[in-house]
Amino acid sequence: MGVLLTIGCTDLEETTYSELSESNFYKTELELVQANLRPFTHMQAWLAWSGQNGYYYHNELSADQTAWPQKGRHGYDNADHIRQHYHTWTDQEGRLNNAWRLMWTGLGFVNTAIESIEAVDAASIGVTPERLASIVAEAKVLRAYHYMKIMDMWGNVPIVTTVGEPNNPPTASREEVFAFIEQELLDNVEKLQPLSPQLIGRMSKAVGYSILSELYLNAEVWSGTPRWEESITYADKVINGEGGSLTGNIALDQDPLGPFNNTNEDSPENIFQFPFSRQNDFGYSWASFYMGFSNMTAALDVNYSGNNAFVVIPTAFNAYQENDIRKQEWFLFGPQYKFGTEEPILGSEEYNGEPFIYVNNIRRNTEGQTGEGSMTDGEENSGARFHKYRSGRQEDPNYLEGDYVVYRLTELYFNKAEALMRLNNGNATQEAVDLINASKVRYFTSDDWADEAYTTTSLTMSELLIERGREFIFEGKRRTDLIRFGEFTTGSWWDHEPSGDLNLTIYPIPYRQLQANPNLVQNPGY
Amino acid sequence: MDKNFKRFILVFFLALGMTSLHTLYAQGGKTVTGTVTDPGGMPLPGVTVQEKGTTNGVATDFDGNFSIDVASNNAVLVFSYVGMTNVEQAVGSQNSFTITMESNEESLEEVVLIGYGSQERKAVSTAVTKVDTDDFNQGQVSSPVELIQGKVAGLQITRAGGNNPNGGTAIQLRGVTSITGSTSPLIVIDGIPGGNLDLLQQNDIESFDVLKDGAAAAIYGTRGTNGVILITTKKGKKGKSTFNYSSFVSRDYVNSKPDFLSADQFRAAIADGIISANNDLGASTDIFEELVNRSNLTQYHNFVASGGNENGNYRASLYYKDSEGIALENGREEFGVRASFNQKGLDDKLTFASSVVVNVNDANLLGGNQFGIVTDWNPTAPIYAPFNTSEEGVLFNQGRYGFYQPENGYNPFSEYANRFNQRKQITFSGDVKLGYEIIPGLVASVFGSYQRNSWNDRFYRSTQDYQQYNTGSPYFGTGYAYKGNHIDYTQTVEPTINFTKDFGDHGFELLGGYSYQYSTTEEYSMDNSGFTTDGFEDWNFGAGNAITDTDLPRPNLSSFKEDNTLIAYFSRLSYNYLDRYFLQASVRHEGSSRFGANNKWASFPAISGGWLISDENFMEGAAWVNNLKLRAGYGITGNQGIPNYQSIVTLGTGGKYPVFLDGADGATYYQTYGPVKNPNPDLKWETKKEFNIGVDFGFWFNKLSGSIDYYTRRTEDLLLSYDVPQPPFVQGSIYTNVGNITNNGLELALSYRVFEEGDFKWNVDFVGSYQNNELTTLSNQIFSVSELYGGNIGNPGNLGDAIRNTEGGPIGNFYGKRFAGFTVDGKWLFHKADGTIGRASDMTEEDKAIIGNGLPKYYASLTNTFRYKNFDLTILLRGKFKYDILNTVDLFYGNPSLLPGNVLTSALGQYNNITEAPQYSDYYLENGDFVKLDNLTLGYNFNLGENSPFSALRLFGSARNLATFTGYTGRDPEVQDTGLYPGIDDRNFYPRTVTVTAGVNVNF
Repeated sequence: MGVLLTIGCTDLEETTYSELSESNFYKTELELVQANLRPFTHMQAWLAWSGQNGYYYHNELSADQTAWPQKGRHGYDNADHIRQHYHTWTDQEGRLNNAWRLMWTGLGFVNTAIESIEAVDAASIGVTPERLASIVAEAKVLRAYHYMKIMDMWGNVPIVTTVGEPNNPPTASREEVFAFIEQELLDNVEKLQPLSPQLIGRMSKAVGYSILSELYLNAEVWSGTPRWEESITYADKVINGEGGSLTGNIALDQDPLGPFNNTNEDSPENIFQFPFSRQNDFGYSWASFYMGFSNMTAALDVNYSGNNAFVVIPTAFNAYQENDIRKQEWFLFGPQYKFGTEEPILGSEEYNGEPFIYVNNIRRNTEGQTGEGSMTDGEENSGARFHKYRSGRQEDPNYLEGDYVVYRLTELYFNKAEALMRLNNGNATQEAVDLINASKVRYFTSDDWADEAYTTTSLTMSELLIERGREFIFEGKRRTDLIRFGEFTTGSWWDHEPSGDLNLTIYPIPYRQLQANPNLVQNPGY
Repeated sequence: MDKNFKRFILVFFLALGMTSLHTLYAQGGKTVTGTVTDPGGMPLPGVTVQEKGTTNGVATDFDGNFSIDVASNNAVLVFSYVGMTNVEQAVGSQNSFTITMESNEESLEEVVLIGYGSQERKAVSTAVTKVDTDDFNQGQVSSPVELIQGKVAGLQITRAGGNNPNGGTAIQLRGVTSITGSTSPLIVIDGIPGGNLDLLQQNDIESFDVLKDGAAAAIYGTRGTNGVILITTKKGKKGKSTFNYSSFVSRDYVNSKPDFLSADQFRAAIADGIISANNDLGASTDIFEELVNRSNLTQYHNFVASGGNENGNYRASLYYKDSEGIALENGREEFGVRASFNQKGLDDKLTFASSVVVNVNDANLLGGNQFGIVTDWNPTAPIYAPFNTSEEGVLFNQGRYGFYQPENGYNPFSEYANRFNQRKQITFSGDVKLGYEIIPGLVASVFGSYQRNSWNDRFYRSTQDYQQYNTGSPYFGTGYAYKGNHIDYTQTVEPTINFTKDFGDHGFELLGGYSYQYSTTEEYSMDNSGFTTDGFEDWNFGAGNAITDTDLPRPNLSSFKEDNTLIAYFSRLSYNYLDRYFLQASVRHEGSSRFGANNKWASFPAISGGWLISDENFMEGAAWVNNLKLRAGYGITGNQGIPNYQSIVTLGTGGKYPVFLDGADGATYYQTYGPVKNPNPDLKWETKKEFNIGVDFGFWFNKLSGSIDYYTRRTEDLLLSYDVPQPPFVQGSIYTNVGNITNNGLELALSYRVFEEGDFKWNVDFVGSYQNNELTTLSNQIFSVSELYGGNIGNPGNLGDAIRNTEGGPIGNFYGKRFAGFTVDGKWLFHKADGTIGRASDMTEEDKAIIGNGLPKYYASLTNTFRYKNFDLTILLRGKFKYDILNTVDLFYGNPSLLPGNVLTSALGQYNNITEAPQYSDYYLENGDFVKLDNLTLGYNFNLGENSPFSALRLFGSARNLATFTGYTGRDPEVQDTGLYPGIDDRNFYPRTVTVTAGVNVNF
């Protein structure tokens, strides 16, 4: 008995079986790469239309092109989307807290990867020091990109480059964050490899230049100092092909659906995209934000359905002319039919059993409502719908193989044109007109084009913002653009009225984060 | 087992029962006289004198005299009197007797289990409630703990999902003690800590001993916080070997159904223009009624052989139970055996006890969850319809194989026809205890047990299942199969040493022990599709084409293992002086692998004392006080009921990303890895500190007896995920110990023998409890959370969480908008914080308020037991009081905006003014108070003569959930009341039922 008591087993260490402990990892070059890619797979959750409440959700729903109205019994959702649309958010927003957590977790993954990789002895795992340095450079550019998007949301945030330290990092000003991002990019972008098919979805030189161009384009908002020339410099590097390309020769894609279809890994204009592949078990769809309920499955001949969530704001749809190919190709509108047939899709809510027709208004038509309606007056068929990206039909061999595009060449054209105009007191130069026309000409027949082409007179700053909206609709960039053009707090769209409150151009630090870290400082006005 | 065989079993056993329905009487007689007195020689009037085994009886007169005619010299007289122990006297040749009756102190002599040992009731200084077989609820139970529902003050037993044979039972003692950890009591079955309730069937249970307070439960250390339920199974008895057969059949009847529109009412709404005409699909279907299995029948058979002699005993119990739920495809069939064996040897110094238990069950999980379709199903839709997708004059139906397939929702009958979902489970336990008395009073023992639970799950959707062939189906009309296996097992070794010694008036008992317990779970599962034939079902996985056909969804493979270890040293000293003053102290020093590196071990002490006041000399004058004991105790317990691996950083997969290896043409998609949690090396157990003071009493020869307990308990270091600063942490939260919950309450148990003379006896037992709790803190200097949200109301409209528990507030506060009326056109109006009134779109977080509380404050139950001659009647009333219920069924379906989906009739009546989508507010909160006639049992014990082949025979009939008295307008006010988010009547439409049982119990 006494023997039993003294020799009794007292080992209480935990053994893991179905998860990895850190000491078992970072042993080969592939494992270093796998750690380095973790933030990429995480990034799609907040940067794209994953259905999560991240950067994309906020950058779209607070702007003038998309909204998530209540549609009958669906979509009230604690009035979260309604407050985004009317700019009445507070620091208590749950979805804003989710965005904070998602984006900083991504940053934590990058910091984990950098720390772990820098701790590796290159020789012991048979990797050259140069190779190791290039892996770290890629991670640092990715970290700078994370910071740029975090800064776009909240402006003043802490700068942290290590995991777990310091415990309660203090808020840095937006100018300081900007300077940090700029320095990290300048130190590392040139160490990256040029874009090639092998670097799809990775931080290549072309991506680094695009980030720099975006950073400088918004420098006036973010740092207080305009940097238009530098934005042009880096746009030019991409346009000139100095950053490489997917197809060997970077160029605008003449196919209006080319950058967005399910083989868009070979679009000549795509620069940075999340590669998705259903066949490789990383399939992905936009269903949860943009797809209708299951009745719409047959319209696209696909196997997914969504939440009937985001719709196009009527004024945004009206911004397209009828002869604009984008209006015909990038939207679902009007009566819906089962794919390839004349058989109508039927409604399932207000129009249960009746033909299903998307209309360009958000109001209770079944109740005879007239006027512009409101965010609580939607019906199941309110608003035009998203059709810019195409998964393909089920029988398509590339079904759901499409990638989500973050940067494409057209954006650098717009960046450069805008910077040129800003340097010219807001007036178009011929070079700026040529850049925008190079993009726009793709969407009109040659007969129509003569009337549609911009001139130095017709391409005003406000027209540039409208055309930028038409071109980049659904691409998660609109809030940033409205802020840069000063329209975010002064513009009106559909039933949204301007607040006139410049503080709204950055979101409040979520209340729960202020509680967790007493060194965080709330943004002005909240 | 097929239906015919089941019927055969039923008929066979019923026939067996019938053969025992004859009774025999002996003949011839004489007159016997005498006097009955108490121990002091005082005559006792009104004593019942009865000839045993007959209805022949008389009562003593004022002087204690009696005279009775008996059948023969073989007769036996039974003397009974309230508060006295029965006396049996064989008549023989004698004609006159003087009988002395002793005071009945049965309740003091009762032996109570206290964990790793037992005590006489009078020595118990902690809060322990014992319930024996005689007091169990009768009739069919789904979980063995329901046998004591309403019998133990402070013990909540709730089946929120109705009487589903595959549903769960929630158990909670003295309120919520944890936020994220376990809140269920530790179950100990015959000494096996963490015993599996599946291994118990109702007839094998001898007693439940519920250790309620901290001082009692502390001997179980890190598992004691939620209390401990010690379950003792029946053992063989010394004497003649006996057989017992018991059986019952039971059936469930729907006692309330949700009042949705019938086909006629739906058509009337069409005629009124409320619903468009194209919604009339031409048929009339009451889908709720269709889903009810009216002919459900549950049968139970138990056969026991037992016996023993001076040196040992044995008992073997075999049982079979086939449970059918009120739903179709909703059953559970099980059988098992429990065998126990005890023996003494080496001059009674060596004791050996062992038992082996097996339960084998097959559950049909396909049905039972489909009642929610009442909300989607168009009552004019047919169940069966020919395939037709053109709309010319005939019903539009996409279902190719005879079933109607609605555009929204699904057809449950198509699922029943084309799917299966089964679990085959085997649970086993074996235990052995070997003890040796080294010197008198010193016993060394070692207990070992092995418990193993395994199941195989099978799921299949055939090629004719709508989900497989519909136009959007990724399966292109092929079959889908899933299999999953699970094994978990627990090994326990507990050597103990026990020393008992009396020194004059001082009695000591000292216990020491060590405990080692290892548990692990291993699982794997796989699925595949692309089965072009249904011939294989899930028995030929390789035949599924999805392995190679990338147009089909990728097959999934998964496997999983985890384990944990618990090690403890424990000791307990029990001391008494004069058998009147009692003191007990214990400590358990315990370590768990689940805790952080800095906090693996902890100590859990307890101390308690008792004073048997009624034994004091000064009480001699108060002869009516038979028992009066004051006891008080304080104990510290822990809770290790959290998931494994919470304190260490692990890396998890994060989805695949393409990598071009050197020289490769194409990309390979590799998994990515990143940390899945923040480390917490300080993670530790939750600690509960509890003080309990109680009084046990028995007055007037124990005619009135009972106990009162007051407790106050505080759980500290509550585990919860807290926001950590992000940056610098990778993940947004850390699992750590911060908050406190306090509970206090009063428990009362009363037993009153109202009437006990002659052939008629009437006992009343009452248990009641009052409980008050507070989420004292959720924050400390580093971590803070001011509230916990939960109780999601759900869709449509994603109405969010119903309940907010705030720091400093009680548990279970409903938190939401305050209803202020409707606009003239039927839109919602709510109060705003600034005193104005606004519409739903004007509401912000600040406008919400506490609008109710879902946790019952009072629980009470009342058992009336009547015996008249051979009849016995038990009536159990049970109630919960002072709480609110959120009626989510009304909230969603009492709203015309949900048309043309089906709605409650009230949506077109009482609520027909509403024109806006459902909103959560206090409009849908109702008072939940109720009293249920929970159990009504009538039994008859036959008189059996000596020539009868049977030694006892009983027939009984029983009804459960017979009636509910309440003001609540929903179906059943008995909703979930355990945990942090109580009081929500969710949209689980599993019918509430009355269960009627008829049974027989025979000994031979």
